[in-house]
Amino acid sequence: MKRLRAWFLAPTWAVMLTLFVVPLAIIFAYSLLTRGTWGGISQPWSLESYRRLADPIYLGIVWRSFWIAGAATVLCLALGFPLALFISRSGKRKNLYLSLVILPFWTSFLVRTYAWMFLLRDTGLINTALQKLGLIHDPLPLLYNDGAVIVGLVYGYLPFMVLPLYATLERLDRNLLEAAADLGAKPWVALTRVIIPLSAPGIRAGAILVFIPCLGAYLTPDLLGGGKTVMIGNLIQNQFTTARDWPFGSAVSLTLMAIVLVLLLVFVRREEGGLV
Amino acid sequence: MSAAGLAACSRDRRPRLNIFNWSDYIAPDTVPKFEAETGIRIRYGIYESNEEMLARVMGGNSGWDVVFPTDYIVKPMLANDLLAPVHREELPDLAQLEPRFQRPDWDPDLKWSVPYMVIAAGIAYNRKLNPPPRTWADMWDERLRGRMTMLDDPFDVLGACLKKLGLSVNSADPGELRRAQAEAIRQKPLLRAYLNAEVRDQLVSGDVMAAHMWNTTAQQAMDSSPDIGFAYPEEGYAVYPDCAVILRESKRQELAHKFLHFLLRPDIAAANALASRTTTTNAGARKLLPPVFRDNPTLYPGPDVVARGEWAKTVNPAPQRLRDRLWTEIKSA
Amino acid sequence: MKRLAAPLAIYAVLAYLFLHLPLLILAGFSFNESRFTVWRGFSLNWYRAAFQNQQLMEAAGNSLIIAIFATIFATIIGTLCAYGFWKRSSPVLAGSLYMSLVTPEIVSGISLLAFYQWIFRFLRVQLGMHTVILAHVSFSIAYVVIVVMARLRTVDASLEEAALDLGANEWQAFRYVTLPAILPGIIAAAMLAFTVSFDDYVITSMVAGVDSETLPMVIYAIARRGVNPVVNAISALIVVGFGSLILISERLRAA
Repeated sequence: MKRLRAWFLAPTWAVMLTLFVVPLAIIFAYSLLTRGTWGGISQPWSLESYRRLADPIYLGIVWRSFWIAGAATVLCLALGFPLALFISRSGKRKNLYLSLVILPFWTSFLVRTYAWMFLLRDTGLINTALQKLGLIHDPLPLLYNDGAVIVGLVYGYLPFMVLPLYATLERLDRNLLEAAADLGAKPWVALTRVIIPLSAPGIRAGAILVFIPCLGAYLTPDLLGGGKTVMIGNLIQNQFTTARDWPFGSAVSLTLMAIVLVLLLVFVRREEGGLV
Repeated sequence: MSAAGLAACSRDRRPRLNIFNWSDYIAPDTVPKFEAETGIRIRYGIYESNEEMLARVMGGNSGWDVVFPTDYIVKPMLANDLLAPVHREELPDLAQLEPRFQRPDWDPDLKWSVPYMVIAAGIAYNRKLNPPPRTWADMWDERLRGRMTMLDDPFDVLGACLKKLGLSVNSADPGELRRAQAEAIRQKPLLRAYLNAEVRDQLVSGDVMAAHMWNTTAQQAMDSSPDIGFAYPEEGYAVYPDCAVILRESKRQELAHKFLHFLLRPDIAAANALASRTTTTNAGARKLLPPVFRDNPTLYPGPDVVARGEWAKTVNPAPQRLRDRLWTEIKSA
Repeated sequence: MKRLAAPLAIYAVLAYLFLHLPLLILAGFSFNESRFTVWRGFSLNWYRAAFQNQQLMEAAGNSLIIAIFATIFATIIGTLCAYGFWKRSSPVLAGSLYMSLVTPEIVSGISLLAFYQWIFRFLRVQLGMHTVILAHVSFSIAYVVIVVMARLRTVDASLEEAALDLGANEWQAFRYVTLPAILPGIIAAAMLAFTVSFDDYVITSMVAGVDSETLPMVIYAIARRGVNPVVNAISALIVVGFGSLILISERLRAA
């Protein structure tokens, strides 16, 4: 049993080592070097890139990324929880409803972001409709601000919240809910005192699966934010392109990874040795 | 469909050349004409920014043979050993270039690059604006609040601010750069977004009334709508000559020269300029353009306007660091 | 609790509208005669333009090829890995797979580019289809492992033990007992890996070479130059295409 198992895991070890660990190690090495005269990397080795990170402006970008990712996560939770609850209670049609949630997700992320640009522009559908209905006179500036970025992120990552929530809610013991009803609890109380606390693992999992990608987002703030929103992802991208400062870009990348690692260690319990 | 294409490729014994150029920067029939005349097969890729191109070719193993950097990228590329020398003897049509491009600042002997087309940055506006914008300072006007965009490029934005202050777009002085940054931050509340070519449609549809824009994009907008105009600001503006270079990694440098020779032919250069709505560096080509295009004030402005233009130069490492930092601050403000 | 049923249902309808309406509208306007948001009449112009765009078609072909190869490799490697985990967990490997899942794409892309550039000093290989395929395999394996693991948990381990008791060796036990049981899960995982690969933009754009421009890269380039209903047309085709794929995969997973 053990021999076969070693062979089975070997390819994955090989891929993870060469295409994940080694590249990250290279980036780590880069972060300790200095920017070449005209870009790229060169000697000497130094901690300068990391020291630069301590600057308030970069800390401000980190803070801003946290707040946008946080807002998107909270919205995903608020929007996704009732939906997950609905699906978990819909009996025979569970899989159909679940598929309907996943369906938009499995189209191109780019296309979904583009769809929101199409909708939110001044001459986009929402404004045109509101104007035709006479509700507004001038178009509302829906695009190119933090709000648009958050909407785009929520739209892109909602399924990541719904699925783990559904998984937890589906396994909820019906008896508990019946007992609560028998004891005279109103639906709202049953919800807040019983259902929500019991679905804590799902909420945790969903929050992590939404928050972490949102933290590192770069396309969404770029396209929907009109270039006015700088999140960590944009900063990294800027360093590797316009600024051609690979060491600093690497340092920011690794810092982001470190934040992700800390969040994971704090919030993810190792319930099983395998994944999820 | 693609499998058939792949099969055809593998059986194709014709020599190959890989060209990496800006989008919309060549006439549709230039490549087919070249292929027909020389029997060389071209793979044509496009990019949207110098940085994108540079990120790909930095490693020295990208597979591209000819790329088209803007002039201020040539020096860093040379310093990173990315370029192959250009053999003038194989390019007699270099004589067709306008005099100011025969001995350009960034490459006086044209040893490494061949000037291609020129872009300038100015203000595109909707004619409903009365009076129309004429200076960079007009882009700080309260009447444009929420209806104005600037280019999403640090050099362009800082350049516009520097010009507004009466300074050089290539300034390396920290004090001057900080003043420029302060201007940009002052402008931010009025700004709708930092956008590049995608703002063209919003200008045409009227969402945006004034946009910091390159003259080619503006010309394309003007093609779609008579309501759009373009102004070269009175304080001066940045000029970006683009040129063709051969990558050192290329194993087909003689073929690359053939392509460059082809691009320098006046008739071909004229077709390219016409199709992409750009200003050509080729004087011989300019003579062949139809009059309405040849005297177009947006693409071929008069000598007094040309005199106000300032060529973008390579930024040295220390000011580059500062500019990058200032750009991050502007964006985060 | 029953009193929650009605408001929940109403909410669900609104939520599904929110999820699907933008894409339906996008697809709807792909049939619009005009480029702008004003409806001018039904037309298949943009679909015609999309199919006539050689760059687009070639990119679509590249995306397909890359996705197929990446899916095959990732599914095989991932399934083997999930099976290995099922026998006994390996926290380190599982941890690294999880990390690869949550690594921001831009960091993955840049690290892979740096890796390839470093390797190119020793091996004279260029950026191309193979570099993209390898990159896709590296981030797809985690998805495959998760899906197949989920399926494996529903399989009774004692079945394999029974087979072993009856004289089968390990490989036979796997091949004839477990593998058929998890096949729907493997197929579902493959479809997931395929979609993730086909859809990827950030990582692909960094490691693509001369001949490996993919569909998302072309879509991004077109979208950056402004409104273009050709993107709507392509998007509609993608929505329908992957919609069908995923519905089939869900049917199989539940089977």
